[in-house]
Formats: sequence, C-alpha cells, structure tokens
Amino acid sequence: MRINKDMKMAEVIHLNHHLLPVLNRFDIHLGFGERSVETVCRDHALNIDFFLEIVNTFHDPSYFPVRHLQSFKASMLIDYLQKTHAYYLDFKIPEIRQNIRQITQEGSLQNSHKKLLEDFFDSYQHELTTHINKEEQRVYPYVISLENTLDNPASTVKELQEIGRYSILEYEEDHDDVEAKLFDLKNIIIKYLPTSKNNKLLNVILHDIFELERDLNNHGHIEDLILVPIVENMEKALRARLNKLSANV
Amino acid sequence: MYNRLCILLIEPSFLIREGLKTMLSNLGNPYRLEEIDTPLDDLEKLINRLHPTLIMINPLLIPKMITLPRDPESNFNPIYIGLISNGVSTKTKSKFDNLLNLDGDRHELFKTMEKVMQQLGTSQTETDNYTLSERELSILKLVALGNTNNEIADRLFISTHTVMTHRKNITRKLGIKTVSGLTVYAILNQHIKMEEIQGS
Repeated sequence: MRINKDMKMAEVIHLNHHLLPVLNRFDIHLGFGERSVETVCRDHALNIDFFLEIVNTFHDPSYFPVRHLQSFKASMLIDYLQKTHAYYLDFKIPEIRQNIRQITQEGSLQNSHKKLLEDFFDSYQHELTTHINKEEQRVYPYVISLENTLDNPASTVKELQEIGRYSILEYEEDHDDVEAKLFDLKNIIIKYLPTSKNNKLLNVILHDIFELERDLNNHGHIEDLILVPIVENMEKALRARLNKLSANV
Repeated sequence: MYNRLCILLIEPSFLIREGLKTMLSNLGNPYRLEEIDTPLDDLEKLINRLHPTLIMINPLLIPKMITLPRDPESNFNPIYIGLISNGVSTKTKSKFDNLLNLDGDRHELFKTMEKVMQQLGTSQTETDNYTLSERELSILKLVALGNTNNEIADRLFISTHTVMTHRKNITRKLGIKTVSGLTVYAILNQHIKMEEIQGS
C-alpha cells in the first residue's frame, strides 16, 4: 500500500511503525491527532512530495521513486541523509553497544564470548563511522557546492569549471565490507553463539541489528535512486551552461 | 534442485506474518508464500488452487466446525502448522500436524521449523552437505589466523585459485563473509584459540 497525502499521519504509523525514526528525522514527533500527512507536512514547512518519496521508499523497498526528482533540492536530501547518519552514530549503534555490554549480567553469554561479540561489533562500528565520515566530509560538500554554484546566476566560468572537475560517480564506493560485517554479525548470533535459555537481551540485540540493517539499506537506496540522479542532472546542467558560455565568447 | 516450497500463511497479525517470513528466510530454503489475513469461508477452494505443501494457520481464522482439507489419495497431503500461543485448548491443537508456539523463544521456533523442513525433505542439510570438509577447515583456520590467500596457497601447496574456491564454499556453508566474522566463528567452535590470534 502506497502512503499518500490524504492519509492520517496516525494511520501511517499503524501501517508501518518502522517509519517512526524516519518521521523524527523530519522533526515530526508523536501526537498527530487526526491530522493528515499533508497537514502535518504543511505545519512543519516540509515539501510534501519529498516527504512522500522518502517514506514510500522506506515502507516498500521495491518502490521506485521517479516522478518528482527534478523538484527536489539536493540540499534537502542531504539534510535528511545527515540526520540518518546522526541516528546511526548517536543513537542506534550506542544502543546496541550498550546492550552487548550488559549481556553478561543477564547470564545469557559467557565472558569470553561477550568479548568476541564486543570486539566484532567495535570493528563494525569503526568501519561504519569511517564510511559515514567520508560521505560527510567529501561527497556531501561537493553536492552542496555544485548546487550553490548552479543556483547562482553570477557564477563565473572559472567557478563553473572548477566544480565541473568532479563527478558524483567518482565518489561512488561500494559499501560491501560494511554491509558484509553486519550480515556476519546476524549469522553469528543466529547460528553460532552458544546461549543459555535466558536470552531476551540477545533477542533485543538481534532485533536492533535487523532494524539497523533495514534502515541502512534504505539509506543506500535513497542515495542511489534519488541523490545520484539529481546530482547527475545538475552535472548535465553544468556542462550545458559551460557550453553555452563558451559559445558566447 | 529441490522443489520450491509453497507456503500458505493464514494469520491476521502483520507483525507475526513479517516475523515468520524473516524466520523462513533465515532457514535458507527458497519458498513461495501466499498471505491471508482474514477468515476464509472457502479455505478448501484456495488450497485446491494453490496446492501448498505447508499451511501455517492461526486457529482463530479457521471457520468453525470445518475439518482441515486433506486428500491423501490424490497425493495432496499438506502439513498443517497451527500458529498457537500459550493457553490454546488441546482439542484445537489436535487439528494440526505441528504446532508453532508464538510465545516460544528463538531456539524453540527454529527447532520446530527445522523439524518441519526435514519432514518435507527440502532441508538443505539433506541435499547438500553443510558441514565443512577437512580441507575447508584447515583453510578456515589459516584465514582466521590472518593469512592471505597467497600465504595459504604456499603453505598448503595449492593454487591461489583453489584457495579462493574453498573460501567461497566456506562462506556459502556458514553464511559468514568477512575475515573477522570467520575468526569469530573459528574461536566459538574452538578451531583456534583466542591467544593464537593475539600472538600473531
């Protein structure tokens, strides 16, 4: 079922409660009353089409956004993506880490096994952080500066040429190893970690890992399906503008 | 190749359906699944259309007085799994071939499902050997201790290509892709000791 502007925001959560952290990234918080998606978006000064594309890609991984790509500002997307980064690094990862730290107290894991799990998770955390930092420090600044240069009618040929030296495709990098580690972690817990009967906390950890994985997949999806096409369009526009300028000279 | 499993899932709760699907995917058998979330007047018709091998059903969604359709003579004999929670009556329970206790823990749930998969003969452990061979085990140890493919090839007098083939098989069998994941596996299963890695 596609989420649309006329639904009540409360219905959206009933339909898929996994969307709650996504709404939080738009600074939308619980207590919707009877307000519709459209009203809530208006109250928060959000672009409704943008909001719908984001929640629908999250709600249904097979949903392919196409319609409104041109109308979105890259800066809007980057703002959203940065908030998901913050959610991982400041909330979800520390939460899982905290539960792993506590797990021996519950008695569901031996000390030596806990250490293995901790070390493995730490190395995952390190890799994820490195990957995110690269995006924040290199990719996003490039996109923002490309958008600003294009938006400014007074940008000089030199400025246009300067930013034109880069391409989003160069930054494309596989997330393979980061993804593989999370995949391994799931299987280690599901299949190989010996546990005692009382493993409620381990279940919570596993549940959190699935949630994190789902969120990360969606994050990658948004980058590949929405951000990259928008940036490619901007790069095309940049080349067109440079051609026009050089033809005028 | 084994036949693709056809599963009919009749359960009103979205979360439980999703949870069951996740569990089924983790069992690793490919399957096709049809979901129903409302009571069915015409269960028999649906079953005749789909010919599922496995029917997972919440007793609340079985219309009263109906017996679950079976027809051993036409070779149609699905396995019925009752999706029950604590406190379901014995009479209800007796309708099913197997019971999946939704209040049970992960281990119990997986054990029941694996048992069912074995009954169906689709269990991969039967068609494919999922334990590591001697050779794979020795390669796993060397990988876990931090050796590169080239080093392992030199050590075992085989080609790097062969090492890579073995590694692919190890990953397929265990469901673990990274070196650090394999190291954790090797320690958990006491193929290597933690001190051995720290020393290297």
